[in-house]
Amino acid sequence: MKKKLLMSTLLLSLGSASAANLTVFAAASLTDAFAEIGQAFDAKTGHTTRFQFAGSQALRTQLDHGARADVYASANNAQFDPLVKSGLVTAGQPFLSNRLAVIAPKNNAKVQTLADLSKPGLKLVIADKAVPVGDYTRRMISAIDKSGAYGQDFSGQFLKNVVSEEPNVRQVALKVQLGEADAAVVYSSDVTPALRPNVRVITLPTRFNQSASYPIGTLKDAASPEAAQAFVKFVLSGEGQAILKKWGFLKPQ
Amino acid sequence: MPGVPLALSALLVVFLVLPVLALLLRGLNAQFLPTLLGPVVLDALRISLLTTSCTMVLTVLLGTPVAWLLARYDFPGKTALDTLLDLPIVLPPVVAGVGLLLAFGRSGLLGAPLELAGISVAFSPAAVVLAQLFVAAPFYLRTAKAGFMAVDRDVEDAARTDGADRWTVFRYITWPLASAFLLEGLVLTWARALGEFGATILFAGSLQGRTRTITLAIYSALESDLAPALVLSAVMVLVAFTVLAVVRRLGSLHTPR
Repeated sequence: MKKKLLMSTLLLSLGSASAANLTVFAAASLTDAFAEIGQAFDAKTGHTTRFQFAGSQALRTQLDHGARADVYASANNAQFDPLVKSGLVTAGQPFLSNRLAVIAPKNNAKVQTLADLSKPGLKLVIADKAVPVGDYTRRMISAIDKSGAYGQDFSGQFLKNVVSEEPNVRQVALKVQLGEADAAVVYSSDVTPALRPNVRVITLPTRFNQSASYPIGTLKDAASPEAAQAFVKFVLSGEGQAILKKWGFLKPQ
Repeated sequence: MPGVPLALSALLVVFLVLPVLALLLRGLNAQFLPTLLGPVVLDALRISLLTTSCTMVLTVLLGTPVAWLLARYDFPGKTALDTLLDLPIVLPPVVAGVGLLLAFGRSGLLGAPLELAGISVAFSPAAVVLAQLFVAAPFYLRTAKAGFMAVDRDVEDAARTDGADRWTVFRYITWPLASAFLLEGLVLTWARALGEFGATILFAGSLQGRTRTITLAIYSALESDLAPALVLSAVMVLVAFTVLAVVRRLGSLHTPR
């Protein structure tokens, strides 16, 4: 009896000692969904999770230069795999997929269809080519180019209309929300309830759309590896996936 | 020499100098010249030179009369105006960017009339200039005003009694006497304009060869290709050092001996 009591006290004290402070680096597009996942995770486990959201390429640079984190969730493999290769991140796994969306301000009718994006004199805002969504955007326009659906030099005209290449996807969306861009390319999950009243989504045929696969993994020298793994597991669990679905993300492929 | 202050001073000096040294060590490598001549760096240098030059011209043209009026005349509300004109110095640049966007952006206060006139400011090199002018011109205003106030009014009055008109007095008396101050203010303004980041990225965006200045290029290069970022950073260190040396020299010109 006494032994049992001792054991359970020990377990309890271990339990409270393992309430960890968790730092998660996550792609800017995950801002809303991961904030909610963090709350649910903390409530369930007693951990305290903090997030740093930015363009995946910025987070990768920071991790490369010694930023401390426990978990890294990137919006593409190009900004994730090098960290695995250099041994900073343990092998990751895809936890969701995302699609592109072309958006325009609600009160600005300059862009009605995809073909309009190559009309001269437009102001388009996209992400820098190092940003995952900027990479997917360029793949999208070259797919359109290849199909020949909107003329010979669609991508040339499109890129001529680009007035800014932003450091992360939320900055891209912001420029449309403020009405300063005629159209922009973001993820479909970026059309959040906060953005929806201000924007129109322009139809993007599936054959031109790009599938973005997001990997997640724990850092090799995470301060609390168990909590980090628990977070990844939670994101992959039914509960985590339900929250991601609610914010417009798709199942991993 | 006393030991403790010496040790503490050494600590601070090392702390302040070390990052600068690190930048130069990493930036001034064998790749310096080839990278400097690459399109990313050249475009950024060109945009920065072009926009800061425009900012300088506008600052002198618009700032000098304001500074002169503020130094020479009293009027109701002068203190309030003075404070307002200093505001951009303490305002965070990002806030300045939001303000510029809300004022001159397409859906901003002046957006509709500007649009009608066929002028669209945001995301253009003009937006870079406006962002720089907003955050940097107050530095010129302050020093120029101090310069005009330091000019001996008796000398001006003497010239006037000898028959010089107002412009001649300004051109041949006030301007030369205040010029060390004006130059110092201009150099400070230029340095601030060159380093502008927050207001520019919000109001002008970031596009290579159009609105991507040196600071924006460093920021964007850091996220993909470190080499241009390091070269540009080293260039900025050298430029900053030269600017400070010039200001120091100008400062010694107008301090009373």
